[in-house]
Amino acid sequence: MSVTTEAATTRPPEDLLAGYKPPPGIFDEMVDGAGQVRPAWQKLVGSLEQTGAEGIARQSEQARRLLRDNGVTYNVYGEVSGEERPWELDCVPMLISSREWNGIAEGLTQRAALLNLLLVDLYGRQDLLRQGVLPAELVLGNPEYLLPCRDVRVPNDCYLHLYAAHLGRGTDGNWTVLADRTQGPSGAGYALENRLVVSRVLAEEFHDARVRRHATFFKSLRDSLFSSATRHRENPRVVLLTPGPSSSAYFEDVYLARYLGYTLVEGGDLTVRDNAVYLKTLGGLLPVDVILRRLQDTDCDPLELRTESMLGVAGLLQAARSGNVVIANALGSGILEAPALAAFLPDLCRRMLGEELKLPSVQTWWCGRDDDRRYVLDHLHELVIKPAMLHRTRQPVYGGALSQTDRERLAAAITRHPNNFAAQALVERSSTPVWSKGSLQPRHVALRTFVAADGEKYDVMPGGLIRVTTDPCLPAVSMSSGQGSKDLWVLSDGPVSPMSLLRPYGAPIELRRSGNDLPSRVADNMFWLGRQFERAEGIVRQWRAVIMRWMSESEPGGLVELPILFDALLQDWKEERPEAVVAGDPYRARFRQLLRLCYDERRPDSLRSTIYSAHHLASIMRDRLSLDSYRIINRLRTEIGPGMSQAQSLDDILLQLNQIIVLLSAFAGMGMESMTRGPSWRFLDMGRRIERAQHTVHILQSVLVRPLAEPAPVIEALLEIADSSMTYRSRYLTSIQLAPALDLILTDETNPRSAAFQLAALAEHVRGLPHDEGKPQSTPEQRVMLAAQTELRLTDVEALCQSSETDGEHRQLGELLARLERHLIALAEAIGHTYLVHAGPSRHLGRISPSPQP
Amino acid sequence: MMYRVRHSTVYSYDETVPVCQNEAHLKPRNAAAQKCLSNNLMIAPPPATLVERHDYFGNHVTFFTIQEGHRRLAITAESVVTVLETAPPALEESGAWEHTARLLHSYSDGAHLEAKHFTFESPFVPLLDQLAEYAAPSFTPGRRHLEATLDLTRRIFTEFKFDPTATCVNTPPLEVLQKKRGVCQDFAHLMIGCLRALGLSARYVSGYLLTLPPPGKPRLAGADVSHAWVSVYFPEFGWLDFDPTNNCIPSGHHITLGWGRDYGDICPIKGVFIGGGQHAMQVTVDVEPV
Repeated sequence: MSVTTEAATTRPPEDLLAGYKPPPGIFDEMVDGAGQVRPAWQKLVGSLEQTGAEGIARQSEQARRLLRDNGVTYNVYGEVSGEERPWELDCVPMLISSREWNGIAEGLTQRAALLNLLLVDLYGRQDLLRQGVLPAELVLGNPEYLLPCRDVRVPNDCYLHLYAAHLGRGTDGNWTVLADRTQGPSGAGYALENRLVVSRVLAEEFHDARVRRHATFFKSLRDSLFSSATRHRENPRVVLLTPGPSSSAYFEDVYLARYLGYTLVEGGDLTVRDNAVYLKTLGGLLPVDVILRRLQDTDCDPLELRTESMLGVAGLLQAARSGNVVIANALGSGILEAPALAAFLPDLCRRMLGEELKLPSVQTWWCGRDDDRRYVLDHLHELVIKPAMLHRTRQPVYGGALSQTDRERLAAAITRHPNNFAAQALVERSSTPVWSKGSLQPRHVALRTFVAADGEKYDVMPGGLIRVTTDPCLPAVSMSSGQGSKDLWVLSDGPVSPMSLLRPYGAPIELRRSGNDLPSRVADNMFWLGRQFERAEGIVRQWRAVIMRWMSESEPGGLVELPILFDALLQDWKEERPEAVVAGDPYRARFRQLLRLCYDERRPDSLRSTIYSAHHLASIMRDRLSLDSYRIINRLRTEIGPGMSQAQSLDDILLQLNQIIVLLSAFAGMGMESMTRGPSWRFLDMGRRIERAQHTVHILQSVLVRPLAEPAPVIEALLEIADSSMTYRSRYLTSIQLAPALDLILTDETNPRSAAFQLAALAEHVRGLPHDEGKPQSTPEQRVMLAAQTELRLTDVEALCQSSETDGEHRQLGELLARLERHLIALAEAIGHTYLVHAGPSRHLGRISPSPQP
Repeated sequence: MMYRVRHSTVYSYDETVPVCQNEAHLKPRNAAAQKCLSNNLMIAPPPATLVERHDYFGNHVTFFTIQEGHRRLAITAESVVTVLETAPPALEESGAWEHTARLLHSYSDGAHLEAKHFTFESPFVPLLDQLAEYAAPSFTPGRRHLEATLDLTRRIFTEFKFDPTATCVNTPPLEVLQKKRGVCQDFAHLMIGCLRALGLSARYVSGYLLTLPPPGKPRLAGADVSHAWVSVYFPEFGWLDFDPTNNCIPSGHHITLGWGRDYGDICPIKGVFIGGGQHAMQVTVDVEPV
């Protein structure tokens, strides 16, 4: 932050508050009714004014860059899978004093404990129903009350491990709870990421403000999950179960899994055997003891819950029932999300905890109660109407915003099905400043707070995820509505001790080298990531060789290798050479066609698509790639992304290709230098090696097998594409001949670009794959490997160079290459079959439909 | 009456199924007029795990997994059950249907929790105004609950045509109402929907029915079928069964497997498997008086 400090010494502070006007009647977080800055904010405001508008703009830009580099995104509901939006973060934090926060935190822990007790009763003795404290309509009549979950014993009666509450501060300055989220609530990971970015961008302010840290909260969560395991208590396996890359919070799933050190799994990665849950890996089935799930209750088990959902694991509920797996949160917790429950919480709290509710819910009416319904019908214009249960099925409605007819229609619906409606008082949310268009502007605050079980008690994340909105009355700003977010700083009274999620020194830990616990799905993705990268590199190198030659020669007709290279590249895409000749230039039409082949997104095999799909694969495996690798991939995507049009000059294209090659090499280098030599790396590298060997075989087939009148320039181009010119020159100086070139590109096992080198590397990988040690005979992939390697090792390069007397073709070479190609295809298939084949989706037995007697 | 029931289901697959998880409701429960004397479940290939428990409504459930590769799965349940013949209550004992609906609505304590549970919408039985409208001619103001229910049973029997090709497992009641066709499961769902739409309590009963061969023909083994009917709650005398497919109050010939809110709660066999290619299923039910 040296820039800021310099600026502070050379510039007078700017008045950033002059134009800041919170809406009248609204509680503002930063300034009080008299326009005075609240005590908690004074230091930060001072510091921001020192920084000045220009500095803040710079910091905002820095924040944006950090988010982009870290690949922070969220998927938008309803958009095509893979559509990701960048996460929006305002770098001005919201501040709250420790004293005020402690009150909120106390209320939240009480609420979490109360909600947990509620679940214990509803899925156990049902006293609350029997005594008529809770109406059956909201429990037995609630589709989110899952009958199969009754009497499933939950270890330590801990149903809620992670709970989120949506808060809003009304005009009176008091915080109220607007909604409860109990099924894998999202947002904690985004809050963590926001903190990471803002604490870097505002490092000095963060340090000075003594902000309370999030790490203790995540430690509680992790400890609690770890110790909840009923089996393998010494070293239980905890996994994070995600709905997959198309879910809105996939980024967060990846992020949390990495932060907490859990394996990220999808339903298809898990299987139930002997009423216990296992992770399907390359090395076989590994037991899973605890599942932190980010799936809705009903998606978790297609056997006993929603049969249509294929996101979960068949038999999961039975595994939980058998006491072999702990699911966090326990299945069935979703019933607590019913908006109507809030109407009963004050009474429930007195009855079950003997206390008043410390953090009130927004005032709520359930239309199933006669008095409540009458009140709601009389006050529709000032209330928010929500479904009493299944809140996801319908958007909240603001009575005040309805037309007379719509309001009457709503009233009629409430009268007909009163049980299905709840109403909430309108909370006009407080405002807080965000940096927008060069000044501080008030925006309304929706705060999502998080509570984690910590043994017998609950622990609250100091801070939370703030979403800001322009509309004070939006009841909950959802992730998908595309508005900004902020960090919340809870200011500590005393010094804060930094802590880390790493194990304390001296704690016993089981030593592990990379095992075979890689999910088969991830191995498959790694394999394809390797292939896509190598394919991109192959295309780029060939394309660059073509363009360099075409640029360098004023009269392209003079280069014998140019048509051969053009055609070889076209052949790579299995395209015919265009017949048309443009303006006397024999290559113009071919060049245009190649431009299309490189940049056409609709073609799945274009260069752009190849890099896009590599990026996609990388993005769904973010938990497996280092942050630096992921940054490189993001840069690659930007480099090849739209903006490159056909109109650009050859120079621009060349520049871009050089840049892409640098980035591809950087990624390859990260892989070589930073990835542990576990199965993850092995599959990535195998994909790469197979693709490179195939590419080498292909280009030799399309360039060298044909009769060559003037071989030298062609061979030179080939050496360049194979990145072997330097080696060649150092060995053979300037004498360009076919045999030494073929040796270098094809059979020399010391050249990392040769086909023989790829085969040797592949053979090493195949040996390292997990095998059934009991079987004496070699595996199919070992046999193919042996055949391919022997083929190359027995090759007489001189003989390959002999051309046919009749037509000048290098027939022997052609035959060898054809055999090699077949071996490589067989190898890829064998590896895929043994290690990567998905067993396919789960299916249901045809249900038996009873039919009556004839 | 005493019966031996043999319910056999065979799944065959084109390709090997490596693993499957199943849940079976194949053991008849005891009920007011019924006692299950023995039950024997045979599964081939033998299951790796098998757990028995009671579900939410007290029905017997067997959870089992097959963990060896198989291309054929055979599940056979053999039970011996006694069923008493019962005389239906007299019409006069039943109060007005609105009275029942009011009672159910106002129950707020545990005593009638079970009955209340079956007034709510369930996955196969949505609460629809159209169903209430269909029921209306039977449920005229002030009519005795029992009388109205018998009338609804009779109307479904006469106005709907039994047609196994018209519907499938997932056909919603509204479609059945429009087509006026279906099988016992559809008629049961329809009737339950009608009753619940009026605020009454009705549950789905899954079971078997003894079939009598045409006069002069021998009884054919395996010619019987699974059956489904409805049970209705009366505050005056508890639960009483109605069979809209046969227009009767079951007595002595209906063997109850179990009950739930709808078919989904009590379907005989549910299973999830991986692989298998094309698969086929064959069911035979044999009810034999002993």
